[in-house]
Amino acid sequence: MLRFALRRLASLLPLLLLVSFGFFAMLRLGRGDPALDYLRLAQIPPTDAALALARAELGLDRAIPAQYLAWLAEALRGNLGESWFTRRPVLEEITHYLPATLQLAGTAMLVTIAFGVPLGLWAALHRDRWPDHLTRAIAFLGVSLPNFWLGFLFVLVFAVTLGWLPAIGRDGFASIILPALATATMSACVMLRLVRASVLGVLGEPHLRFARARGLPRRTLIGRHVMLNALLPPLTAIGLHLGELMGGAMVVESVFGWPGLGRYALLAIANRDYPVLQGFVLAMTTIFVLCNLVVDIAYAWLDPRIRLEGAA
Amino acid sequence: MKKYVIPAAAGLVALLLLAAAFAPWIAPYDPTLTELASRLQPPSAGHWLGTDHLGRDMLSRIIWGARASFGAVAMILVLVLTFGCSVGMVAGLAGGVVDAVLMRICDAFMTVPTLVLALFMIGALGTGITNVVVAIALSHWAWYARLVRGVTLSLRQRDHIAAARIAGLSRLAIARRHLLPALAGPLAVLASLDLGHWLLHVAGLSFLGLGLAPPAAEWGIMINDARPFFRSAPLLVLLPGAAILLTVLGCNLLGDALRDRLDPGMPDHLH
Amino acid sequence: MLRRRLLQALPALAAPTAGSVQAQAQAQAQAQAQAGRRRLTFSWPSNAGPLHPHLYSPNQMYAQSMLYEPLVRYVEGGGIAPALATAWALEPDGRSWRFALRPGVRFADGTAFDAAAVVANIEAVLRNRPRHAWLALVERIEGVEALDPSTVRLRLKGGYYPTLLELALPRPLRFASPAALRPDGSLAAPIGTGPWMLAETIRGQHDLFRRNPHHWGPKPALEEVLVRVVGDSNARALALEAGEIDLTYGTDQLDGDTFRRFAADRRFTTAISPPIGTRLLAVNASRFPTEELAVRQAIAQGIDRAALVKHVLLDTEPAAETLFAENFPYTGLGLRAPGFDRPAAIARLEAAGWRLPAGGRIRQRDGKALALDLCFTGSDALQKALAEAIQGDLARIGIDGKLIGEDAGTYDGRQRSGEFGMIFGDSWGAPYDPHAFMGSMRAPAHADYQAQRGLPMKEEIDRRITGVLASTEEAVRAAEYRWLLTTLHEQAVYFPVSFLTNKVVHRRELGKVPFGATQTEIPFALIGQG
Repeated sequence: MLRFALRRLASLLPLLLLVSFGFFAMLRLGRGDPALDYLRLAQIPPTDAALALARAELGLDRAIPAQYLAWLAEALRGNLGESWFTRRPVLEEITHYLPATLQLAGTAMLVTIAFGVPLGLWAALHRDRWPDHLTRAIAFLGVSLPNFWLGFLFVLVFAVTLGWLPAIGRDGFASIILPALATATMSACVMLRLVRASVLGVLGEPHLRFARARGLPRRTLIGRHVMLNALLPPLTAIGLHLGELMGGAMVVESVFGWPGLGRYALLAIANRDYPVLQGFVLAMTTIFVLCNLVVDIAYAWLDPRIRLEGAA
Repeated sequence: MKKYVIPAAAGLVALLLLAAAFAPWIAPYDPTLTELASRLQPPSAGHWLGTDHLGRDMLSRIIWGARASFGAVAMILVLVLTFGCSVGMVAGLAGGVVDAVLMRICDAFMTVPTLVLALFMIGALGTGITNVVVAIALSHWAWYARLVRGVTLSLRQRDHIAAARIAGLSRLAIARRHLLPALAGPLAVLASLDLGHWLLHVAGLSFLGLGLAPPAAEWGIMINDARPFFRSAPLLVLLPGAAILLTVLGCNLLGDALRDRLDPGMPDHLH
Repeated sequence: MLRRRLLQALPALAAPTAGSVQAQAQAQAQAQAQAGRRRLTFSWPSNAGPLHPHLYSPNQMYAQSMLYEPLVRYVEGGGIAPALATAWALEPDGRSWRFALRPGVRFADGTAFDAAAVVANIEAVLRNRPRHAWLALVERIEGVEALDPSTVRLRLKGGYYPTLLELALPRPLRFASPAALRPDGSLAAPIGTGPWMLAETIRGQHDLFRRNPHHWGPKPALEEVLVRVVGDSNARALALEAGEIDLTYGTDQLDGDTFRRFAADRRFTTAISPPIGTRLLAVNASRFPTEELAVRQAIAQGIDRAALVKHVLLDTEPAAETLFAENFPYTGLGLRAPGFDRPAAIARLEAAGWRLPAGGRIRQRDGKALALDLCFTGSDALQKALAEAIQGDLARIGIDGKLIGEDAGTYDGRQRSGEFGMIFGDSWGAPYDPHAFMGSMRAPAHADYQAQRGLPMKEEIDRRITGVLASTEEAVRAAEYRWLLTTLHEQAVYFPVSFLTNKVVHRRELGKVPFGATQTEIPFALIGQG
């Protein structure tokens, strides 16, 4: 088991290196002159002398691979550079804003499971009857809703009209309800359909038909046989959901004034704050990759066939 | 139930496509024509859906918005298909080191969540619809490349392809004559299921102010522009959102129907 | 069964939270009423920064001005009033200034403010000259010395009339406790002589300022100023309405519609300051098609400025007909912009040979379309709305304004390179206007230089600007400014939209909120007094 985990981890490292170099090159080859952006963010008028000074200071006069290696050497020591705008270490800034985004995405994940699993089960157990049709309609609607617009609707109804929940900010449990619901809707609907399909698949398997024929009570049947087997695949899809939820959270943050990474990244884009962009994308990719790794490992642990296949 | 839903969805999408194609002729006003004195008007006979904060006709802007959205999605589709097919086929036909390298690159692109990649690309390359399109295409082509490679590999083993190779047909000719027809079905299904997804991405990035340049009418931008008037004129936010919802819903329903017909074995649509 | 329980639980879950939100807001409002004028909550898009008195971003100017004071301060109209210096005089050589320092002033750490402190600070600024190269005064300072503990002399390389104006800037020529200044130019702690001290900074959430017990001036009515980090104007409006902040103050803290909404709300007091700067577009006289005077004049006549002010700015700023408002020094010249007259603009274009092709809406001449790039910052909603409205007006006289909304970086690049037809910009406001803003017109890195480059008299303009800045004769300066401002006005290289104003909204209970003399200073110390 440990060997499996280590092997997976080892295979991810070159991937991350490749990705980080791609991003680095893209930033450096992108439009504009980073030195100019640097001076603008420091509010220093860009005279020729100042530009030359900035280029030397930032190492922009070196070749891109050399710049990358310098950056990488620092990054491996946990130093992602300093934001040109706030003059603070990028890593520190990211770890400062990340918890809010993770909190939102995590809560949305709980909502996804809390809605998706029971409704999916309900739909599967009433296949082709009205609960199935209803959830199917809901699911189609849910995956077609723009999350930011849904956020506005929620604000309009629950904050402005009814005054039940706060419209903006991150201040206690009440303030996370609306953004989490807006973020989770799409994933919850996807989860619903996955659970339904998976449960139907299990219900069709021979051992269940046998169990039913044996006369086991329906509740035992569902609880013991269906749930365990049917829920593993959709729950392990959580890794994929997480990428979607993090992305969704970053858009929704803008609607609710949620002080997370999305707004920080938007600010970095508006400012063309290179070190922040670089650090942001690397951090998000790493998180995403690690989550998938955890899911892979969990899956392999639950289903030995994967582990063996991987070894072959 | 399905009997009605699918024709309705088809009708809806056809209607939107027609609106997009003929926007210059059917929109009652120029969507960029400002008339400051008549700003924020409620729906009336002159302006069926009212006017926005600069006095522009909302109906015309919604119609032109369809053009912008479909245009962007069409560009994404072209990019993804060209790129995905070329890489997938090359990997599948060449095999060996080439295949391994290309698949590693695919892995790299699949590693990064779409929105993160899009935000980064726009940060590096600048705002604009082209960069939004490229960013979305970049984060999706790898799935297509994988699909194409898979089909290519499985076909390679088949007898008639092997026979064709022995008969001395070039790889390109094999690709053209045998591969493309076999790929059409699965690609159509995958793409039709992705259309709605891309529409949402385009709208979301435009909403964040990263997409299409004003004064072009685009649904995401319209929602963002209307934020200050959210309380006094909620229609300005509600209408473009409803347009997005209907379009995406139509595309998703059609994609689902297409999957049922072409490839019932594929996993449920809502991937 | 399970379903019923779930359904019952849902409203139970929602109700207490909803109630607690309202209760919280009420409690907050009550606490504030009890605290009276003791704590004010304000908002700003970012944290105040480390608050180094001599440095720039991320230090926020409003906060630097709370902690640090200048030798002299700016008064509306270009006047100069005593601050840390009580008297000053130009020495007979015409280039050195002598300042008598205010007695008994102490820094917030108890250190005395004296000539040595002034010298230490100015020398720290001079050690970092390249960083302050943008400011002509720093470039011209030759040295500074303490004549006695309460007198300093500032030696300049040559005459420079705006010396006192630039000493009044929020940075870099302000003073931190010498005990806090480190030899490498960094700052151990933000300690100044101003009415406020930084008490606490929580990143992404707030900065807290407390009254400085050592301050020499009148005691502020407020004890604390809490500045919450609020990113956008929509969120700010909601926070103000909910009582989470007490005050908005600034040129763009709220959009026009929201300001009007608060103005109509009896619970709030709103006010608009006199002009503090100019919202304008530079019209590129060195690029097709605006290199032609007739086209620039047609643009000036063809844009309905009154409609922009009324419907986009919602009358929160007065219409601007000139580059600078008349409450600035040397600017009261009585210049008037050509009135909005669409037929006249069209006639002017027709006369210049720009004709509408059959069935077309964009004028052409010799096969070239009358099109220009109309550039603005994409994230600035107000610039965007103005740009869209201006584009509409241009279209009506047959000019194709291509809207280009970009991020700040690309936008700045365009200003440097001159790749624009019309581009948004603000004048620098008091105390920079007019002298520093005009001084920058000589620098190729500025949109103003690029826009003017094509003018036949550009060389003379630059020469005269250089002359006026060094001139010591008041009458000569007035005459030179008259020529400069009149020339720029006649050449129509600027389209002034409106004069920037500070807009204030606060809860009625707060009392009187006066305006600062400059765009960046917020007079917290005077809020609620008398």
